[in-house]
Amino acid sequence: MVSTIQNTDVKQKDADLAVVVAVTTRAVFESADDDGGDVYGVGVAFPLLQALHKVNERLLEESPAESLLFDVILITTDDEQQQQCSRITGSTRHYGLEVSRFCFSSQEDFTESLLKNNVQLFLTTDRNEALRASQNGVLSALLDQQLASCPSEQLRVMISGDAVLRPDTDPVPAGQKGAQSFSTQLGQMRQKFGIFNSPLSIVLVTLHGGRESCGDALRTLRSRGVSVDEAHCLAGAPRGPILSVLRSHFLLCDVVSCLEE
Amino acid sequence: MSLNNGQTLTSGQDSTRNGSNSNRAPWEGVRAGLKPSTPTRKPESPKPENAITIAVSSRVLFSMEKEQQIFERQGMEDYIKYQVEHETQPLSPGPAFSFVKALEAVNTQLRELYPESEELFDVVLMTNNHANVGLRLINTINHHQLFIERFCMTGGNSPIGYLKAYHTNLYLSADPIKVREALEEGIAAATMFTQEKMTEVSETQLRVAFDGDAVLFSDESERIYKTHGRDKFFEHEKAHENKPLDHGPLKCFLEALGKLQKKFYNKGQRTDCPIRTYLVTARSAASSGTRALKTLRSWGLEINEALFLAGAPKGPVLEKIRPHIFFDDHMFHVEGAAELGTVACHVPYGIAQTVSKKGIKDKDTSQAPK
Repeated sequence: MVSTIQNTDVKQKDADLAVVVAVTTRAVFESADDDGGDVYGVGVAFPLLQALHKVNERLLEESPAESLLFDVILITTDDEQQQQCSRITGSTRHYGLEVSRFCFSSQEDFTESLLKNNVQLFLTTDRNEALRASQNGVLSALLDQQLASCPSEQLRVMISGDAVLRPDTDPVPAGQKGAQSFSTQLGQMRQKFGIFNSPLSIVLVTLHGGRESCGDALRTLRSRGVSVDEAHCLAGAPRGPILSVLRSHFLLCDVVSCLEE
Repeated sequence: MSLNNGQTLTSGQDSTRNGSNSNRAPWEGVRAGLKPSTPTRKPESPKPENAITIAVSSRVLFSMEKEQQIFERQGMEDYIKYQVEHETQPLSPGPAFSFVKALEAVNTQLRELYPESEELFDVVLMTNNHANVGLRLINTINHHQLFIERFCMTGGNSPIGYLKAYHTNLYLSADPIKVREALEEGIAAATMFTQEKMTEVSETQLRVAFDGDAVLFSDESERIYKTHGRDKFFEHEKAHENKPLDHGPLKCFLEALGKLQKKFYNKGQRTDCPIRTYLVTARSAASSGTRALKTLRSWGLEINEALFLAGAPKGPVLEKIRPHIFFDDHMFHVEGAAELGTVACHVPYGIAQTVSKKGIKDKDTSQAPK
């Protein structure tokens, strides 16, 4: 059974134009050293939420009537968390997080919740959850433990250059539409800021391919209106050391199999 | 005069080359919309820990004078606009270009002799540039047929972390601040400058020339020279002749070159080795030079030719050698070399970087340690 609760502390976003990003409560709140108190500890996705909030803040500064904003919702994906309703809403208020809605669902029906809430990007620390959501047509990305040390003043989104599909790909596989439209929206947001001091940075990373792949990806993204800030081409070099310097919040892939890697 | 220490160092493990399959992503079969792979099979890039990684910035690899001017006078937005407008117009070669070409020539020869080995040069483009400039850089690399498959366009962020991630053996940049930072992090680095004159150099034999003190060696002897003068310097060097000098920032790079040289020697290519190294020092053969040679020997390093100039200008000698690159810690020598067409770069390390005292440079009698 899924239920959605609005957060009355936060102004609701425009249903049509906002970019809905769902993050699992497990990623946002730390339940490991649980003392059973009213408020959860801070989880790995905290800097991410702060960065998303920062983007919204700056977008509104540029244009107070802006509707192209991130609409962040928290979603539970297991039965246990589903029961923790007041603790989750209480913790959200306690930290002043800009979360507009809470979706309480279980392991079986969380994908239903994602679809119902028009989620454009689902972020989780659980690979299986990400795969399941992906298979149901929702763009997903995996959050890892490194996330905790990512910046909170700038949202850094990595786009995988190995899996950027060219515009003439016909037909576009169902799951991929979500990726393309999300990156297009990111591109639109990015355009509202100048070269320097942007709260959003788009980083193109080609893990396997060489400069041709990277060049293709740059061209394709440009055709979608996505202006990339940084480009890194690894051509098969071990990714760990580079990624830990990059400190991006998550990786976007056009293709589902990215998550299986 | 050449050094032969008679020791054979092991050339290190030759790791098997990565099969092309292991680098393919799981979804490669699905990429219906992507361009088919080019018909000519390009060699794979070696793993950074096996390769000798040379990181070069865009301004030293290519000539970007005009673009740099636009950036300085009109700012970032105009600079990027200009680059994008001229995206299909390849840039001309910069000071590091012939060096990079020579590295590739060595790689070709290494691959012929050791087809399975990853002990090769790997050139990484390490630039502060915004990714918008990326396509012009990629087009230029394509135009000049350079084999550069790895790059970092950091969009303004510091390159240091990436240099470390790539196990960089040498970093060349036009920005002295970044070069200093790299040196401080223990990465061999040097500042390159645009040169009006660049003499033609070999396309088949890589030649690298090094100054001694504060480049291959530490600046300990130079300090003595600067604080106590010429005579004390000689006394000191003579007294410590058998004590190896401490190592300088470029020592490891010489070592890496030596490792590759041995691979050629092992295949019988000694006199016509595609890599040749030179020591070009103001030390004197008769006296202070001995300590330099003994130090190299104690490190197990060979240098093919050692030129002891006893204070004479380095420009003319370098003009004859025609190295692809020359490293010195004194701007005086860098400029002198560049005037005569040698690509010279500055290693901002050691006591020479502080304001030098006047008066010690007496050409007739000086035997400067540099």
